[in-house]
Amino acid sequence: MNIEGGDAGDSIKRFTVVAPLIIGILIFIFILDLVVGSVNIPLDALLQIITGGEVKETWMNIFWDWRMPKAITAVFAGGALALSGLLMQTFFRNPLADPYILGISSGASLGVAFVMLSAGICGIGAIFSTIGFIGDLSISVAAIVGAFAVLLLILLISAKIQSNITILILGIMVSYISGAIVTILLQFSDESAMHSYSFWTFGSFSGVTWGQLPFMVILLLAGYLLSICLVKPLNALLLGEQYAESMGMNYSRIRVTIIVTTALMAGVVTAFCGPIGFLGIAIPHFCRALFVTADHRILVPGCILVGGIVALCTDIISHLPGTDIILPLNAITALFGAPVVIWVIVRGTKFGRGVIT
Amino acid sequence: MNEKPVLSCTDLTIGYKSQKTAVKEISKGLNLTLKRKELVCLIGPNGSGKSTLIRTLTGIQPSICGEVWLHGRRINEFTSDEKAKTLSVVLTTPVQTGYMTAFDIVALGRFPYTNWAGRLSNSDKSIVTNALSSVGAGNLSHRFIHEMSDGEKQKVMIARALAQEPELMVLDEPTAFLDLPHKIETMRILRMVAQKTGKSILLSTHDLNLAIRCADQLWILNRSGTMIAGTPEDLVLSGIFGSAFEIDGVHFDTTRGEFTIPVEKRGTFHLDAPESIQKIWTAYAMERIGYVPANGSSPDIVIQVTTGDSTPVWQISHQGGKKECQSIREMVECISSSWHLTGGDPN
Repeated sequence: MNIEGGDAGDSIKRFTVVAPLIIGILIFIFILDLVVGSVNIPLDALLQIITGGEVKETWMNIFWDWRMPKAITAVFAGGALALSGLLMQTFFRNPLADPYILGISSGASLGVAFVMLSAGICGIGAIFSTIGFIGDLSISVAAIVGAFAVLLLILLISAKIQSNITILILGIMVSYISGAIVTILLQFSDESAMHSYSFWTFGSFSGVTWGQLPFMVILLLAGYLLSICLVKPLNALLLGEQYAESMGMNYSRIRVTIIVTTALMAGVVTAFCGPIGFLGIAIPHFCRALFVTADHRILVPGCILVGGIVALCTDIISHLPGTDIILPLNAITALFGAPVVIWVIVRGTKFGRGVIT
Repeated sequence: MNEKPVLSCTDLTIGYKSQKTAVKEISKGLNLTLKRKELVCLIGPNGSGKSTLIRTLTGIQPSICGEVWLHGRRINEFTSDEKAKTLSVVLTTPVQTGYMTAFDIVALGRFPYTNWAGRLSNSDKSIVTNALSSVGAGNLSHRFIHEMSDGEKQKVMIARALAQEPELMVLDEPTAFLDLPHKIETMRILRMVAQKTGKSILLSTHDLNLAIRCADQLWILNRSGTMIAGTPEDLVLSGIFGSAFEIDGVHFDTTRGEFTIPVEKRGTFHLDAPESIQKIWTAYAMERIGYVPANGSSPDIVIQVTTGDSTPVWQISHQGGKKECQSIREMVECISSSWHLTGGDPN
């Protein structure tokens, strides 16, 4: 009988071998995202930019003011969405859970809709659509306020109610309510406000300025750190909350931590990039199939890296390199991501097939 | 030997307290002890409060009054971490997790002992491996849990509870989803675990026949909330066991230690056969079709079984007629065909 060794250790060993490769891919795609777009920057010019040499001023501007913050945003937002999706799928033990299932992003959308649309109704909508930076900032603030309000509501109710399913249903109900209010607001707002709102719902990594970037990165890094601290309880939760509690896990504390961590990451990403769908639900499944494990010690770093890679890829595709056209990010994530995910989870392997959570 | 019990309770009342001060008592005045290496089966009909008792004894649900003592300390004095190191559970709900090997699942049992990241030391790993092999699941170590049969899953969950290195393992209906051989195997494993590792085991079950044969102690909780504790054989002999479970028409056979299926009585038989396995099963077949042993009075049917070197032969003497049968099936068919021929010759 070969009963020596163990799979937990094996899959971690396997991951430590694969991880440098994945980091390499991440760096490669990151650089690719910096150089390609409507204007392609040649590689020698890229070296000049990095080493501080002389290059065309427009390239300098495109590189530093436009593409660099966009690429950094994509890396962190992609990782954060994947991670919060993972947290929710484990927490609810439901393969269909995504970062927005708590209603956090619906709250954010509602906040944004209030700022964009109600201002339009009051006749001062032009202020927000024209004043670039302050307009963006007010949108982010509105989104954060909306997300935070929903988070408070969820925490308040989860303190009284034990059942996870109740929280799940609550989140879905919050989504419906906010969707209803947004629809009513849309009905009464003018065309330009409607357009800018629907443009916001497309999602984009391009809206984050250098001034906002550190703020966003620090918050998302805090989310990463909290998730890393949660790997052990998350693993225990794979057996269900009763088993987890019987092993000495403080369930009510862990539950609040998971909810707050997810809300932090999903809320911040929504605030700065809009409601980006698909990545959060698909990448955790992709990672499980890729690393053939449910161990969160692998899945948490895995989701951070793979989430970043996939977000960068979708960003590159959405900018249609060589053209001036920019396609909606949300369309690209699903259009190009879904077939890849389908292929990964449906392909027959010796480890079985299909989505299993 | 005056050993400290692993689990005990004194004057325990279990039940639910609702918010409006109304108390629903399920059972009261419970005094139970569970010693080291002991395997206790908690049995009782559905709705008798087995789950409530287990929840109270494991400290998940507060008692109405009375104390539960785990290893000499009140159970509510334990921190969750200390309790996890003293008591582990196997729940009824099946684990539905993908991409987890048996090893990964059992390794989760080390939760109370590992660091923040759940890193397994070499000794943790050998505890996990030992737990798997002591339930006979060593060969499952690298297999995924979602590809296992229910019986294999149950072994893995028992190994997980074992890897938690508790004094007491509590299992809620561990045999519920299993077929009969796997039920028996599970009980065999639990007995072995209790004997070899010195753990105490408390399990609830509906498999009465199995409980009688395996348990060191039976705790019977009947529908009225009365608890009877004792050695299975004592409870059978005193008739308590039978009376606790008999319902209309279902009778507990104290000789065989089983509940028998009632059949319409058709007559009596006399079995003339050497002591053999054929004799036992011939008698079972006769009982199944409604014949009882004549016990000295004149029988309706006489069966003679010859078990020589060759295949056994059943010779039926029946209302003057005689017939030789090569199998029990033939014998049963022969007897039942005569039910329609009133007094005729079966040949």
